[in-house]
Amino acid sequence: MATVEVRDVRKVYLRDSQELVVLDGISIVVAEGDFVALMGPSGSGETTLLNLIAGIDRPTAGTVTVAGTELSRLGEGDLARWRSRNVGFIFQFYNLIPVLTALEQVELPLLLTSLSRRERRERAATALKLVGLSDRLGHYPRQLSGGQEQRVAIARAIVTDPAVLLADEPTGDLDARSAAETLELLGTLHREFRKTIVMVTHDPRAAEKARVQRHLEKGVLVG
Amino acid sequence: MKLLPLILKHLRHNPVRTASTALAVAASIFLFCALETIIAAIDWGLKSASANRLVMRHSVSLQFPLPLAYKARIAGVPGVRRVATSNWFFGVYQDIKNFFPNFAVDAEDYLAIYPEYELPEAQRSELLRTLKGCAVGRDTAERFGWKAGDVFSMESRIPTYRKAEPFEFVICGIYEVDLEKNPSTTGSLMLFHHKYLYEGTGQRVQAGTYIIEIADPEKAPAIAQALDAMFENSDAPTKTETEAAFRAGFVSMGGNLALLLHTIGLAVTFTILLVTANTMSMAVRERRTEIGILKTLGFSDRRVLLLVLGEALLIGLAGGAIGIALGWVGIPLLPRVPFLGDALRGFPRLYPTPQLAAYGFGTALLVALAAGFAPAFLSYRARITQLLRSL
Repeated sequence: MATVEVRDVRKVYLRDSQELVVLDGISIVVAEGDFVALMGPSGSGETTLLNLIAGIDRPTAGTVTVAGTELSRLGEGDLARWRSRNVGFIFQFYNLIPVLTALEQVELPLLLTSLSRRERRERAATALKLVGLSDRLGHYPRQLSGGQEQRVAIARAIVTDPAVLLADEPTGDLDARSAAETLELLGTLHREFRKTIVMVTHDPRAAEKARVQRHLEKGVLVG
Repeated sequence: MKLLPLILKHLRHNPVRTASTALAVAASIFLFCALETIIAAIDWGLKSASANRLVMRHSVSLQFPLPLAYKARIAGVPGVRRVATSNWFFGVYQDIKNFFPNFAVDAEDYLAIYPEYELPEAQRSELLRTLKGCAVGRDTAERFGWKAGDVFSMESRIPTYRKAEPFEFVICGIYEVDLEKNPSTTGSLMLFHHKYLYEGTGQRVQAGTYIIEIADPEKAPAIAQALDAMFENSDAPTKTETEAAFRAGFVSMGGNLALLLHTIGLAVTFTILLVTANTMSMAVRERRTEIGILKTLGFSDRRVLLLVLGEALLIGLAGGAIGIALGWVGIPLLPRVPFLGDALRGFPRLYPTPQLAAYGFGTALLVALAAGFAPAFLSYRARITQLLRSL
């Protein structure tokens, strides 16, 4: 069963009244529990494709269906609600909120659920334990290394148990050791927890961790 | 309520900015309350003037005196019960910063016309017996630590009321005021004998105004007209009006004071609105990426709008509460502030009411919400991809 199904997607941006085609007739299917790496030179549209799958941008044409929901049919409010339940997003620069501790960062998506404060805290602590940061619950981002920050971001992405994990160059800002740890963690989530993962990367060693590698060039899937 | 800890975290993240914004709101609310209290005090003074008292002055200006001979003629007009001369002495005790209002009056008639200045009978008799005697309000007596029997000197700032030596006064009585019964009555006056002023200045002084008590307030217009008609063709034509009208005219001599104060209050509030809006905008602009992250995590546009508005509201709450507390404690102390206090000391009821506090608090919340609206709305409208691009 497909968790992500992208059909004939075209994305055009207007730049000073000039049309800029970023994605041109993309179709891609990601099966449930699969781990797909999207590769390509910078500017080939892989982040845009990831944004479309995450429901944070809308295609100019074509359809994006994730976890059985065609996203173009949802209004902004419904799309936000859908995102909170179905998508875990991992950014290149971690994007943690400076004023929150690791535990509070991970608890953040759970604020949108009906869980009690105790339940939220328990789940957040469990997610942090899973990424090996159970001893860093009260630490702020400034007190963590880059690798630890990215692991907090991964914990935040998985805490709601979403249908799909989307990672935008998750190792792009990390040293080799931290990058390897992060990839290992994503691999574990894929293998042991059967998580569906779509990862954008420019790093061939990172892409090797994925089960499937797809290549984009100038907005077109070439492999 | 789940978002409250997040809002508080953000406010605590930059405590200097949060505190200075809240204090700016507090300062404006304090000023707003102070101005409104002064306006209310003026209003009270006007509203609570006695309906059975008329004030007669020279028709041209208060600066022109009226002949002393008028007193007997006024007293002879039907409907007039009592007449008292009253001259603004403008005496200064030691230094202008010690200023308190002082009048030369026909003490016996004046005290009868103004029963709200409550003087014990023994002190009243002593005052009437003593040419240099005076009565001072409790507020002024406490201000200078005076008691009955004390002697002090004072010199007028009005040239015609000056003599070689300052006037010497003996405190014969300290009058009390019942603010429950007569809320607009001031406890800071000093009253002394017009006769003392008259004799001290070589019998040159005339009457500044006449305070006229009438039997029937409903006949006030007719009596005032009759009095003015009596002196119409004299060297000193008069203008007679009710005490309330006289006070209103006196206040309006400085222009429309209430309008001026309201305008200042409005200008201050608007300025603070701009300052707060700018601070809120800066705070939100710095967090564009963060707002993008929240939206990516599934926070709806509405929820993000509430987060930003919530921050503004909390700043308004804190600023409003501090401003009201400052007003509650500080406004009654304003008459003690050097120079400023001189202008305010004569005002009765110089304290904010609970209604004004509620009004001020509401204003603080409204100002904060208005200030937060623009950045909140921009956050609401911004697309995630735009927000994350600002990384």
